[in-house]
Amino acid sequence: MPGMRDVEIRSRSTELLIMCIVFMLSLPVITGYALIILSSFSRDMVTNLDPSAFKPTLTNWILLFHGRTALFAGIRVNIWGIVFNTLIVALGISLLVTITGALTGYAISRMNFHGRKHIMALLILLHAFPGSVLVVGVAFIYRLFMPSYTYVVYYSFFFVILARAAIEIPMATWLMKGFFDMIPWEIEWSAIVDGASRIRVWWKILLPLIKPGLAAVMLFGFLAGWMDLIYVRTFLAEPTLAVFIEYNVHAEYAYLPLVAAAGTLYLLPTILFFLFAQKLIFTISVSGIKG
Amino acid sequence: MVVVRLDRVTKIFKGGVVGVKDISLTIKHGEFMALLGPSGSGKSTTLYLIAGIYKPTSGRIYFDDRDVTNLPPKDRNVGLVFQNWALYPHMKVYENIAFPLRLKKLPEEEIKRRVLDVARMLQIDKLLDRYPWQLSGGQQQRVAIARALVKEPDVLLLDEPLSNLDAILRISVRAELKRLQKKLGITTIYVTHDQAEALAMADRIALINEGRIVQVGTPEEVYNRPATVFVGGFLGNPPMNFLEAEVEDLDKEIFLVIGKYRIRAPERYWSIIRRLKTKRVIIGFRPEDTSIKPESLDTICLPGRVYGIEPLGRENIVVIEIGGELVKIISGRRISLTLDQMVWICPVMEKIILFDPATGKALDRLVVEEKIRAI
Ligand SMILES: Nc1ncnc2c1ncn2[C@@H]1O[C@H](COP(=O)(O)OP(=O)(O)OP(=O)(O)O)[C@@H](O)[C@H]1O
Ligand SMILES: [Mg+2]
Repeated sequence: MPGMRDVEIRSRSTELLIMCIVFMLSLPVITGYALIILSSFSRDMVTNLDPSAFKPTLTNWILLFHGRTALFAGIRVNIWGIVFNTLIVALGISLLVTITGALTGYAISRMNFHGRKHIMALLILLHAFPGSVLVVGVAFIYRLFMPSYTYVVYYSFFFVILARAAIEIPMATWLMKGFFDMIPWEIEWSAIVDGASRIRVWWKILLPLIKPGLAAVMLFGFLAGWMDLIYVRTFLAEPTLAVFIEYNVHAEYAYLPLVAAAGTLYLLPTILFFLFAQKLIFTISVSGIKG
Repeated sequence: MVVVRLDRVTKIFKGGVVGVKDISLTIKHGEFMALLGPSGSGKSTTLYLIAGIYKPTSGRIYFDDRDVTNLPPKDRNVGLVFQNWALYPHMKVYENIAFPLRLKKLPEEEIKRRVLDVARMLQIDKLLDRYPWQLSGGQQQRVAIARALVKEPDVLLLDEPLSNLDAILRISVRAELKRLQKKLGITTIYVTHDQAEALAMADRIALINEGRIVQVGTPEEVYNRPATVFVGGFLGNPPMNFLEAEVEDLDKEIFLVIGKYRIRAPERYWSIIRRLKTKRVIIGFRPEDTSIKPESLDTICLPGRVYGIEPLGRENIVVIEIGGELVKIISGRRISLTLDQMVWICPVMEKIILFDPATGKALDRLVVEEKIRAI
């Protein structure tokens, strides 16, 4: 994999200056996250920037994993069930977005059909629409196909995944189109002359070449599902982590350090993503492709 | 092994860009045909039409008597080597070569046998376990050829396969490729814009310019008897020299007037000039078929001024100005010329070719065309 390179015309001091500015700008965000994480290990919230409030403990996490949402009250939730629900939604969306994006992106990048230009414009427009605006229309469709009570839980999962994925797909399509555009036509032609069908070329030749792109779309899809509140809250019959946190923030019995622990759990994929996946996404390996 | 025949094939792209126009060409059994032309002349387009990647706008393509015009690429059994080789970057060399066989669902031992055979033939059997980006340009090019050959194609199509190699490697691979083609006897079409490559390798050369076939013939034919000014100016290094001249018919003799000077027209052209009633001609003569003399009274010689000298080691190219035009002449290794010296240049009478300035065609061709029209 080729290393990161740059034109070396900036001086060291400018570079340092830029780094400082960037750091200052991101300081509020970083502080916010750090305080939440810190609070989750403390008896009291430390969000007022008072270091003396930090009284280290693991109680919050222990309580959370036991599914007890308040310190004293006997309220119990199945936290693992909630994590599981969140995972189902996030993975479902991720999968659906990736598969659809890889197919539509290929079609738009490589196939010549009527209305291709219009579809491309429309996709941008769709992406510009915030999902919350569409929620009424989506609710209408939700009611339209609602099954009998027994199946409503399954239906709601299925529906949320479908609806939330639909919002991510335009962007995923554009991303994938960009990746397919980078692959020289000769590689595809070569495989076709060798006797491969187009779907086979897509699967055997093109997809392996844009693995980093696939990973990126997969991750964005996953995070979209993991983070989503509006759709999940409106349509899903079961809570996810986001919904759970949202409930508990206003609940009378709320014990905030515990909510902070839940929040940290909620942030986990994002943190992991930033720790491990950056490299994967930003160094798109197209080594060996000429042209 | 098949005969490939293009019958009045035209390809017009979306937006009206002409790829190739009205191409008719037959490539014989086992023949090595070079498709030679400048950039953008339609060479790759022709190749892709034969491979089935493009569909012709009109015209037909035959392999032997089989009409393949509407056949998809996979049913044509052609091997194609692209200009940039188009190896699959995520597959090792072995898998690259095996890919066409995998698609045919051949048994694993057979695949292995055939991959190893072709790899040994091209001397890449030690590289099978590497990725394409771990290979040098010359090795990648062999892999691409191996992948094209492994399916035992009826037709081998090569699109400037050597253009990414350095000059020295190119010349050695050139000879190797030609040997290989003759050994396997596969009908081969070889696209190049390098005239030396075409002359060195091909059984026959098809010259293509602006989407049209200009001339087809053996290297010897197209070099010595160019059909148009374009062919003369494209082949050879330096290429043919051209001078425009006025025809002066004095009944007994015919002269060609270049500015203040005149030379006697070659006798074999007299009847042609009279038949076509030609008023102006372009005189074409090759740099190596011309001599430089300090003094001359010969009626074929023209006076000129030494404009520059380019030593090439084995020979010298002398640039001479004649009435505002520059011509290049190859002279021996030792010359005793100085800049701005006045000299006489004397083309070999039999090697002079006259062209029609309006159409760019050689006069003897025009005569043949006229005779055909007259019938
Ligand atoms: N897909 C296409 N769409 C539109 N025009 C095209 C397309 N492919 C080629 N052309 C045009 O057709 C003409 C012939 O192109 P072609 O690629 O056959 O040239 P070439 O002889 O192979 O040139 P080179 O030596 O540069 O490879 C050019 O004018 C080119 O711009
Ligand atoms: Mg080309």
